[in-house]
Amino acid sequence: MNKTPERIENLAAEYVLGSLQGLARKRFERWMMESTKVRQEVWFWEQKLGPLSVEVAEVNPPSSVWTSIERRLWQQERPAGKAQSRANQRWFWPGWSIVATAAALVMAVLLLQPSQGIPQMQLSGAVVQAGINDPLWLVSETGSNNLLKLRSVAANAAETDKDYELWIVPENGQPLSLGVIPVGGVHQVTLTDAARDALSQSRTLAISLEPSGGSLTGAPTGPILHVTQLYEI
Amino acid sequence: MSQTKNDQDDLMRLLVAVSREDRDAFQQLYHRVSARMFGMCLKLAGQRDLAEDALQEAFLQIWHRAREYHTDRGMPLSWMMSIARYRTLDMMRARKIRRNGGEEHLEYVEDGREGPLDESLRSAGEAQLSGCLNELSDAQRDSILLSYYKGLTHDELAHVLSTPLGTVKSWVRRGLMTLKRCLEQ
Repeated sequence: MNKTPERIENLAAEYVLGSLQGLARKRFERWMMESTKVRQEVWFWEQKLGPLSVEVAEVNPPSSVWTSIERRLWQQERPAGKAQSRANQRWFWPGWSIVATAAALVMAVLLLQPSQGIPQMQLSGAVVQAGINDPLWLVSETGSNNLLKLRSVAANAAETDKDYELWIVPENGQPLSLGVIPVGGVHQVTLTDAARDALSQSRTLAISLEPSGGSLTGAPTGPILHVTQLYEI
Repeated sequence: MSQTKNDQDDLMRLLVAVSREDRDAFQQLYHRVSARMFGMCLKLAGQRDLAEDALQEAFLQIWHRAREYHTDRGMPLSWMMSIARYRTLDMMRARKIRRNGGEEHLEYVEDGREGPLDESLRSAGEAQLSGCLNELSDAQRDSILLSYYKGLTHDELAHVLSTPLGTVKSWVRRGLMTLKRCLEQ
């Protein structure tokens, strides 16, 4: 779709207003990431329409909201003072809560065939869960052809009518789906260049529980079960 | 209830401290703006639990992204309110919350000439947008304000206003462009 100034102007206004939705909204968010001009147009409208919010009556939120914010930001730091918790603080996902995260601990697992040609950074990690000795999945990247491999170790099948879906959590913006992942065996995902870049920067993956076949919206809809940080090896 | 320069300066100071991961500043910031943000989330979502979740997500985002704030994004309050609006809209759509399928709005349309928008919000909007809303037709203005305050999509606007979708889209688009020309003057 052409990014004419008129089109940008129209879409930015409708984005801020909220009437732009669905795929068009996601596509426009991508434009925002790519273009300063588009972002500036959005900022114009945020500032111009922002004062409308000021007139809405204030309502005190219940104290549970602040308690939840504190818990989600800092709870992990209390026990034992391990340095692990900070890794997960960079990412943020609109509209979600982590339901059963147990994946703070990440082990570097490595299996790298010597790379042919130029040495290249490769990422590796494991999805683990408290109370289970073996990792649920081992994750490794094979640098030469943008392949991400997941080897299922101790993962159990999702409940009936549900699937696990794998996501890249970028530094900014919406998570990128890498599709549904099976339990059992080795599963390979080919990353697009954009996905590879996003993963190189954030090094963060997540797994959510979705309806069978995966999220229908293109964004995660179910609880996040695991968040895991990959390491360079 | 406008923000004074001192208020904005205070918020800016707190936001800078938050960008340095100052937790006390974050808590102060929360106490300063959460009621305003929550009122807006609640108005938009029409549902308390969703508004609470959206507020929570918005503050997590503010914590993580405070260092990305810059003055081109507007005053601190405007930036934070935008975050809260987007989170609320995302959650409304993700959960497909459509309070009573819009029936409450339809009654207004049938019963009175006021249309489905509270009169208080309409006049407040006029004051805040420097009179530029007066340059729009009633239909354009109401479509825009309904989208803004209630988060209605084009389809919902068409339903609520009993008007074909294409017409509603045109009202919104042309209304926004007229508004922009006026606001730029």
